[in-house]
Amino acid sequence: MGRGTEIAEVFGEDLGELALDWVDGEVREVRVRREEGVAARRRAEGEERFVFVSGSGEPAVREAIRALRAESGGEPLPIRASRTADPEADALFPEADRWTRRLMGALARYAPRHALTFRIRETRRRVIGDGRRSASSVRRLVSLEGRFTAASRAGDERRPFAFHAPDSDAVADELKTRLAAAAAPRDRPVPPPAGPTDVILAAGCAAIFFHEVLGHPLEADADTSPYRNLPDARLSVHDLDVRDDPRRLDLFGGYETDDEGTAPRAVRLVLSGRLGSRLTDRTHGGAVGSTGHGRRAGPADAPRPRGSNVLVAPGSADTEEMLRRLGNGLWIEELSGGSVEIASGGFRLRFPRARRVRRGGLADEVGGGVLAGEMLASLSAVEPAFGREQRVHRSFGWCARDGHLVPVGGAAPDVLLRRLTVRPDA
Amino acid sequence: MNAEDVAGELARRAPGQWELYRKTAESREWETAAGATRVSWNREEGWAARWWREGGPRFAAASSAARLVPAIQTADTTAMSDTPAPEWPSRNVPARAAEDPLPEPATELFADLSRAIAAASRAEASLASLAVRSGRASERLVNAAGLDVSQELRLVDGLARCVARRGARARETRIPFRWDAAPDLDALARRLADAATLPLSDRPAPISSGQWLLDPAVGAALLSSLTPLFVTDRPPRWLVRGALLPPAFAIVDDASRDAAYDGEGVPTRRTVLVEDGAVAGRLLDLMGARRTGHRSTGHGVRPSYRLPPRAAPRRLFFEAADAVAPSELLPSVTRGLFAAALTAPPRVDVDADRYEIEFTGISIAAGRATGPVAGARSSGRLSELLRRIRRASTDLQFFPMPYPCGSPTLLIERASFD
Repeated sequence: MGRGTEIAEVFGEDLGELALDWVDGEVREVRVRREEGVAARRRAEGEERFVFVSGSGEPAVREAIRALRAESGGEPLPIRASRTADPEADALFPEADRWTRRLMGALARYAPRHALTFRIRETRRRVIGDGRRSASSVRRLVSLEGRFTAASRAGDERRPFAFHAPDSDAVADELKTRLAAAAAPRDRPVPPPAGPTDVILAAGCAAIFFHEVLGHPLEADADTSPYRNLPDARLSVHDLDVRDDPRRLDLFGGYETDDEGTAPRAVRLVLSGRLGSRLTDRTHGGAVGSTGHGRRAGPADAPRPRGSNVLVAPGSADTEEMLRRLGNGLWIEELSGGSVEIASGGFRLRFPRARRVRRGGLADEVGGGVLAGEMLASLSAVEPAFGREQRVHRSFGWCARDGHLVPVGGAAPDVLLRRLTVRPDA
Repeated sequence: MNAEDVAGELARRAPGQWELYRKTAESREWETAAGATRVSWNREEGWAARWWREGGPRFAAASSAARLVPAIQTADTTAMSDTPAPEWPSRNVPARAAEDPLPEPATELFADLSRAIAAASRAEASLASLAVRSGRASERLVNAAGLDVSQELRLVDGLARCVARRGARARETRIPFRWDAAPDLDALARRLADAATLPLSDRPAPISSGQWLLDPAVGAALLSSLTPLFVTDRPPRWLVRGALLPPAFAIVDDASRDAAYDGEGVPTRRTVLVEDGAVAGRLLDLMGARRTGHRSTGHGVRPSYRLPPRAAPRRLFFEAADAVAPSELLPSVTRGLFAAALTAPPRVDVDADRYEIEFTGISIAAGRATGPVAGARSSGRLSELLRRIRRASTDLQFFPMPYPCGSPTLLIERASFD
């Protein structure tokens, strides 16, 4: 299909998902989804044609290519009878029973009162590109999210919970450990202090901060990013190294080939405090080519350059040293969401709870609020001390941009940020 | 494998307790940005089955009938708690086919909207990208009670992205839109220009309390955030007496002009949720109707074939008994702020009776605009905010939330700002 510098590809996707709604130890609703689709893309001279048809196999591929040729003004392909094979009666999610038993046990023990949704999603993708380039990938992802009631020292408390991980032998045990930690007794929270505050982003949640202030602005189609005019600029302390690495398959955003069939490589977002490279797909790769960050949100969506797993290099400080450097401020282990407005550089991170730090020691529990700042100012306010352990943040799972949702992940050490603005929840 | 085969499979597994939904949709999308265009064509087919067996609701969705059957088999294996099945509607309406092609968008839309934004912003803002989608969908729903209804839906919607610059500072804004009639480019351009340029002023709110004038887009976002009040089984404690708004106001949901049926095959009808300021009804799907012992109000909404229907608004809007012309509202503001656009999604906790709205706009004194306000926040008790709505204008406008949600310009007394 392809000629010269054109891009021409056919994408196939088969998505299966099992969702179980759990309420107080019982499954209240079961949902199973099986979606197949074929898309075709042709890009030349700044114009892209993209078509999508539901279905799979030869009939759907032929229909997609025929539609793409018609859209591009080419000669239509002859219509000929296709071999229509009945889909094989494959068993979907044979492990569903095992998961149900595991969850029943874990929830009964740590969070008997809950409203949680458990999901297993399997995505099989295939790309056939110009020059006989072809690649396929399979990802299985597990999520548990919702709310539960914890019996805390100050009485019952509703707490949010989110866990996202690639499916593996160890994932059930890790989920149980995280659930137990989330259900641990806590004191009654007081409102967080409003105004400029120094914070430590702990337990790996700094990955979300860097995802917002580095990942999104360095996506190659972020045409209003202030970083476009700052190549190799010093943005932060010399000790700061941040990369985006899809090859970390133990993280939620990992993959072996991206959705355009490119083998991904790790991209330095910040290296020794200096601004690194952009995250590119085939369309935006230029002379050096794609970095393997072309990602599709679903079978009907075209690839776009998107981030995957944000990894922040650890330092050498232990918890005591980090707290001593902080002095007074907030210790935050959980972020429930984030957003960035790229043109102005403003970002927000929402935290459901935190611990106040006074004179280098952990003090009272505080409730939720928003951390706000400006990305260049906040990067320059990163303290040159990083925790010695890089921790995976499993609450970090899905990133939405223009309604396109892709799995993302991250791991980070404890990071100390100065002068962020805290706004308590109303 | 066809619809009859799948219906047979469902009837065998859950006699008398099943429904089968099929959707075929076609859409065309044009996306234009600086130096690049993308034209997309999409033909989607979706099947969804819902049935009750051994206690609870089970749901399976697939992109073909052949794939739906194994999905049904998988969903049928998990043990569930007991949830009563709904009373299924029954009605037969012959299918109506429409084969006319999708309309092509006007090729000059990008240029026209660019010009309108430049005019509305005194050339400070420019259109960065515009995506317009024109689509149609055919739906058919059958169930165990003999229901067999079909309908065709049409939609033109999109997303516009605008960037404003002043000196070294920049601001980007994205606004989704939906056109039920001919495109109103001037209104869209004004919203984009205001949302992008007003925050660049750096001027904080000059007052900490006063009157608050809400643009229809801000009023619609506030109304949309009240949705939990109309779908919950247990209204919050502060609403026990039922008074939500001043007596001259009503909240209504009426999607009659959009579709004849909801996602469960129940005929669409006007539902009054708040009448004379007091809560008078709620949005019910079949499950909600079963729980409460009432009839479904036709609000079983399928956001996609991939998800089971849930009670949700379909076309929600404010009605005011003594609405005045928009030009009459501004002179009645002695000291206050006009909220032209939101700078963050509204945060409303209906259980805790709290709200927080961040906006950009214009300060007003003695009925005259006195200057831009880069950013302000109003927060407090939701119940107080709603009871302090004093007047509304006649300029009811609808915005995608993503369902159409409509509000006129609203005037609120005694709001607090920071």
